[in-house]
Amino acid sequence: MKIRAIASNTFKEAIRDRILYLLLFFAAVTIISSRILALLTVGDRVKIIKDVGLASLSLFGALMAIVMGTSLVHKEIDKKTIYTLLSKPIHRSQFILGKFFGLILTLFMMLLFMSLIFLALVFSYTFTIDWNLLLAIFLIFLELSLITSVAILFSCFSTPILSSIFSLSFYLIGHLSWGLETLIQKINPGPVKVLIQIIHLLLPDLENFNIKTEVVHNLPLPSHLFIFAPVYGFFFTLFCLTIASFIFRKRDFI
Amino acid sequence: MSLLKEKGFSPLFFILILLLSCGAFITTELKIERISRKKIPGSSIIYIPSGKYLKYATFGYSSLLADLIYIWAIQYYSDTSIEERFKYLDHIFSIISELDPHYLDPYEVGAVIALYEAKNPDLSLQILDSGLAKNPQQWIFPFEAGHYAQLVIKDYKLAQHHYRRAMEIDGSPPIAKRLYANAAFKVMDFQTSWRTWLEILQTTKDERIKKIASNHLYQVKAAIDIDIITNAIQKFRERYQRNPIELSHLVRAGFLESLPKDLDGQEYLYDPSKGEAKPPTIPWKR
Repeated sequence: MKIRAIASNTFKEAIRDRILYLLLFFAAVTIISSRILALLTVGDRVKIIKDVGLASLSLFGALMAIVMGTSLVHKEIDKKTIYTLLSKPIHRSQFILGKFFGLILTLFMMLLFMSLIFLALVFSYTFTIDWNLLLAIFLIFLELSLITSVAILFSCFSTPILSSIFSLSFYLIGHLSWGLETLIQKINPGPVKVLIQIIHLLLPDLENFNIKTEVVHNLPLPSHLFIFAPVYGFFFTLFCLTIASFIFRKRDFI
Repeated sequence: MSLLKEKGFSPLFFILILLLSCGAFITTELKIERISRKKIPGSSIIYIPSGKYLKYATFGYSSLLADLIYIWAIQYYSDTSIEERFKYLDHIFSIISELDPHYLDPYEVGAVIALYEAKNPDLSLQILDSGLAKNPQQWIFPFEAGHYAQLVIKDYKLAQHHYRRAMEIDGSPPIAKRLYANAAFKVMDFQTSWRTWLEILQTTKDERIKKIASNHLYQVKAAIDIDIITNAIQKFRERYQRNPIELSHLVRAGFLESLPKDLDGQEYLYDPSKGEAKPPTIPWKR
């Protein structure tokens, strides 16, 4: 109940944030402008619309998660409302979880709005509903949830600017860590290879949530991924939130 | 103790959750890695219209993007499991050259891939031409194009053209001129070949190169002379219905004013049964 109350308040607070609407506006403009981009191409125009649309959902969603995730906890500390909150009989991990779920709800609403614009645009071209696009959006949502947990984690011990930089780095590393697989294949067996394998496993792999290529090119979707990607997302998110709670409980506000 | 309770769970609980979640996501990651996923390698780059426009979107990091695409391209073209990997070769290397026109390696490597892997010599020469157009001081591009034309396409006329372009660029190695002279000889442009080899002989200070040039001059002169002698033999045969017994008969019959001699002043050898003349010395054994 306490988590729910904090989440509900977080949602109400986040939804009033003007930066969120600015990002939403740019996301909508980018999605709609994919129609213009499609005019410039030779060949499959729907492909361009799908590519730009899904990329916008992912990129602007990540920006929203980072901007809100890194500022919300800091705002509570900055405005000293945290003192009132923590004087109530709530655990600090409940506070973190409440913030997390509030942000997730906000992101869900934003993603829903952007997706509606995107799907309507695709529908105006194809006159069919591509259900695979919904699966891609679902995985994007899982990715955003993970990024939110990371943003909250960094905001527990750092300033909003630094937290944003760290979270953006996390996002970039998450999408580039697959490159280590190529490196592992090229390296001869030995301690360096083992070390890189360990680093590869510990680093976030956000490509697990990326099925854009398969969806855009109508390739067969790996069914097992829809089981393991949410599991991966859940445990990585749990991992980040646990560290966040641990760090947050160590902070002295009294 | 009461403070700890207010703050939440015990540290042990946190560590336990951390270990469990870490183990769980690593295990899941290992499972996901085993899932085979259909991919279209290079699909993201194929649809980029042109490096010219892409450059504006790189916010000044066009060189870095060129590096990344180049590294990606090397991995992509090394993957023999992709059968149609050469389909967009031209496009991909043109993107790199537009992003970083002075990055020389992609032109050379792209040309090698086009020639030996994609078996597309025209594209190979096109990539090298593009390299030269963007880097007019780089003799390596026409020099390599000349090599490809000579050794792979076996088009000596084309090789001559590229070697000429290479030797006209400042800083080009002297061998470019020698290859040009040799290509001219191969297409029977004896005048150009003679003139060039003579120039090499007169300008070089290297005794070894002097010897090479001299041997080539011997070869060019022998080819010109034997051509003249063969024409005269042909005319002799038409008139007398037989081959001349000696080469001097060609002079006596009025088909030649005098008998040409090789560069060393020796007479050409003649086989009356076949009606063929040949140099008395192999040029390289002089």
